[in-house]
Amino acid sequence: MKPFDFVKPDDQEAAISALAAHSPNVRILAGGTDYLVELKHVSQSPGTVVDVSQIAELKGIEETEDGLRIGAGVTHSAIMADPLIEKHVPAMIHAAHTIGAVQTRNLGTLGGNLVTCVPSMDSGPTLVALDAEVTVAGPDGSRRIPLTEFFVGPRKTILAPHELLIDVIIPKRNLGKPTNFYKFGLRKGQALALVNAASSLWVEDGKFKDVRISLGAVSPVVVRAPKAEAVLEGKPVSDDLISEAGKIAVTECNPIDDFRASLDYRRDLIDVLTRRTLQAAVEIAAQE
Amino acid sequence: MDVTLTVNGEEKSVSVPPETTLLRLLRDDLNLTGAKIGCDVGDCGACTVIMDGIAVNSCLVLAGQAGGRSVETIEGLADLDAYHPLQKNFEDLGSLQCGFCGPGMILTAKQLLDDNPNPSKEEIQDALAGNLCRCTGYTKIVEAVADAAAEMRGDKQAA
Amino acid sequence: MEDNVKVAERDATLEEMREIDDNLRLPAVPDQVSYPIVTDTPEARTQTPAVGQRASRPDGRLHGLGQTKYIDDMYFPGMIHAKIKRSGISKARIKSIDVSEAEKMPGVMATLIGKEIPINSFGPSYQDQPVIADEMVFHAGDAVAAVAAVTEQLAQDALEKIKIDYEPLDPVYDPIEAMKESAPQVHEGGSNIYATKVIQKGDVEQGFKDAYRIYENTFSTQMVEHVPMEPHASIADWDGNGRVTLHSSLGRITLGRADISRTLDIPINRVRIIATVVGGNFGGKNEITTEPILALLSKKTGRPVKGIYTREDEFISSTTRHPFVMDYKTGVDKDGQIVARKVRLVCDGGAYCSWSETTLGKACILSAGPYNIENLYVEAFAVYTNKTMTGAMRGFGAPQVCFAYESHMDDIAVDLGIDPLELRMRNAFHEGSASPTGQVLQSVVVKDSLEMAADRFGWEEWSK
Ligand SMILES: Cc1cc2nc3c(=O)[nH]c(=O)nc-3n(C[C@H](O)[C@H](O)[C@H](O)COP(=O)(O)OP(=O)(O)OC[C@H]3O[C@@H](n4cnc5c(N)ncnc54)[C@H](O)[C@@H]3O)c2cc1C
Ligand code: FES
Ligand code: FES
Repeated sequence: MKPFDFVKPDDQEAAISALAAHSPNVRILAGGTDYLVELKHVSQSPGTVVDVSQIAELKGIEETEDGLRIGAGVTHSAIMADPLIEKHVPAMIHAAHTIGAVQTRNLGTLGGNLVTCVPSMDSGPTLVALDAEVTVAGPDGSRRIPLTEFFVGPRKTILAPHELLIDVIIPKRNLGKPTNFYKFGLRKGQALALVNAASSLWVEDGKFKDVRISLGAVSPVVVRAPKAEAVLEGKPVSDDLISEAGKIAVTECNPIDDFRASLDYRRDLIDVLTRRTLQAAVEIAAQE
Repeated sequence: MDVTLTVNGEEKSVSVPPETTLLRLLRDDLNLTGAKIGCDVGDCGACTVIMDGIAVNSCLVLAGQAGGRSVETIEGLADLDAYHPLQKNFEDLGSLQCGFCGPGMILTAKQLLDDNPNPSKEEIQDALAGNLCRCTGYTKIVEAVADAAAEMRGDKQAA
Repeated sequence: MEDNVKVAERDATLEEMREIDDNLRLPAVPDQVSYPIVTDTPEARTQTPAVGQRASRPDGRLHGLGQTKYIDDMYFPGMIHAKIKRSGISKARIKSIDVSEAEKMPGVMATLIGKEIPINSFGPSYQDQPVIADEMVFHAGDAVAAVAAVTEQLAQDALEKIKIDYEPLDPVYDPIEAMKESAPQVHEGGSNIYATKVIQKGDVEQGFKDAYRIYENTFSTQMVEHVPMEPHASIADWDGNGRVTLHSSLGRITLGRADISRTLDIPINRVRIIATVVGGNFGGKNEITTEPILALLSKKTGRPVKGIYTREDEFISSTTRHPFVMDYKTGVDKDGQIVARKVRLVCDGGAYCSWSETTLGKACILSAGPYNIENLYVEAFAVYTNKTMTGAMRGFGAPQVCFAYESHMDDIAVDLGIDPLELRMRNAFHEGSASPTGQVLQSVVVKDSLEMAADRFGWEEWSK
């Protein structure tokens, strides 16, 4: 690693001012499971590294008026062990469990995962399927935006170098919404997703309502499949319709062809994963 | 940069450049070479240590991040009276061949048993997914963890 | 962080300062690992005979205590660190190398380039591999320069300051392409094919004429890296007597010693190799790698020099398992008895021969499988390509051909409608069978072990 300065502010406010003071030659460090790997390979010093991994304000998980607030600094392991998440968004537990291995989940944070913004990120699809929003803060105050607007491209978000991701909010209307996440990688542990997907929906009077289908590793960023959603919306639940949605979802994605999997294989995966997550969400709905 | 941290119960202070990882700090500055450098990017688990009660890859922790925290390494597991049951069972079953993955493997297993004294085979496998071993094929490692758990619960006599 | 530093002058009383002073007088003794003083010795090591006793590994206890010392766990006073620059280009002529900027960096103690190596070639069969490429680059993982510096990071940084001017040349990556006469030559000398082997038994053409059916297929396997958990590691110490001591993760130290003395052009008795516990070898640590480089850097600096491969080095420049392209043609009679088999093996050796010749021979002998075949023809080629070199890895050519002939047997079984196990039983070696090279086999238990295995994993149930 090239020489850099290291600061460890005590709280959010101190972090924001440290970032502003050193901008633009400044980088945020949380769990380090993405950033330290990057830092070991770059030939330019980042200038100053601001460690936010111990800031208490970024670590809370709580119910607020708006919904469920999850701090950006919450680790994947903390998500897996949290009773509020288990109650309101159990799909997030499953998604967190698919990330890396124990050691990675113990360090890696939700915020770091979203900010790194690789197309295969495993926390993205579930949150997008639940219309999550994020809070971003800088020296001039904070703003709340939908997660889908937060992602700009591969490894690119709307954040400026001196801006901090504060938290993720799952809107109240979607707490308890039947949701399923499915990751397909070459192995169970320590493998990136070839394709991952999440679907959320309500079933009302036997009909689909508020269907969301979200897919990862198939486009530059995590995306929704609006046409596939529209095919289902308001229609009676049926396997045929779900199959149709799977086929349509394939047309809405733009997967790559590389050494991990061929284009055709990824297209098949999109179809299969869309169907499986929809079916699983319907089953969850049926149980309730 | 000065860093003060607790290692195996003792407070230590070292002066290192900020770009030092916890792994290098332990190995180069504290002479604790039990944690190994296998990949240096978080993939292999050979550098696993326990920090504030949780298993982490020390190659992905900066020295400054470890400041003020409590770190447990393989060197702190046995004492003058007894081996840790994990160490004993790994030895008795011949769970390690070249041994390079051993310290990391044992510490990850320790965190598992600290949290869950009675893990199923699947839970052991899940916990060890981040510790790669190229020699053994894992079977005896998983067995040794199960045996150590049984011994620690008192279900099995120590050999 | 600043909070933790006590500013003595400002905060402390005189008494406290004395105490701090006293503490400073205590020598800094590193913590020792603790373990029970009274140790029990496993029965197997105290009793004879040991058969029937439970044996534990003699080194198992130290592994579990984290006390096994691998190369990277060793330190010698004054020791410095070496890093190696890789070419990053798979075929090129080196026009110039400029290490002056690197040498100027504070903390850098020496650099080394190919021209400084007394005899810049080595290899277990053919000496076709440069220690550090000097005129030509043959694959992207070739060493092109080395640096020794006071820290690993400085050595790494210095590599970026080394300027090399390349003239890119046409590479060839596909072994089948490389066999063509029109293909670019990896090494000068007329052909990329550097080893050929043939096995002939009976009359295959007649065998095919008599066959009830003939099956043909092509199989290929990929390059495999050993990925030992411990990367290649060595420490070299060149002493005042002109002797070099090497602590190395090298597996075959006697062969390695000969290679090292040859490249350094010093008598073999001046080379001392101390082998330690190796963190995984699998065949990949059987050849010298950086030992001559570290030795010369130690000679230049008068210090012990440690060199540890990064995981990248391990993948791009250590040996790998040979990719094979395997054509199989098999004639069978109505009962599935093999009457003739023709095999053509192309072994993609990468940039250097290493153990390819040996691997090719073994692959040839095993390529017909453990089956009685009266009419057999095997031809095999080892070919240079501009890729990471291949070498020894568990099985020496056996896994590749096994994958091919067993896949081929399955295809045949399906087509003939014969149970795949039964097809193998009908053809397998028995007591007194002759191998493809005519060796008469004794104590043959292929059928017994197949039966036992089938029984153990419930073949009958499973195949229903
Ligand atoms: C072995 C291994 C396996 C992995 N497997 C997976 C996997 O299966 N699935 C998966 O999705 N990911 C995986 N990852 C990637 C990584 O673990 C996750 O993306 C993790 O969530 C990153 O979080 P972090 O806290 O470690 O981020 P860091 O590395 O600390 O930071 C990542 C980026 O986010 C920025 N950042 C962090 N926090 C904030 C904040 N609050 N505000 C603004 N910017 C911030 C940093 O500046 C940096 O650019 C793996 C990583 C490793 C090493
Ligand atoms: S060295 Fe840290 S995970 Fe491999
Ligand atoms: S025992 Fe060699 S890597 Fe596990």
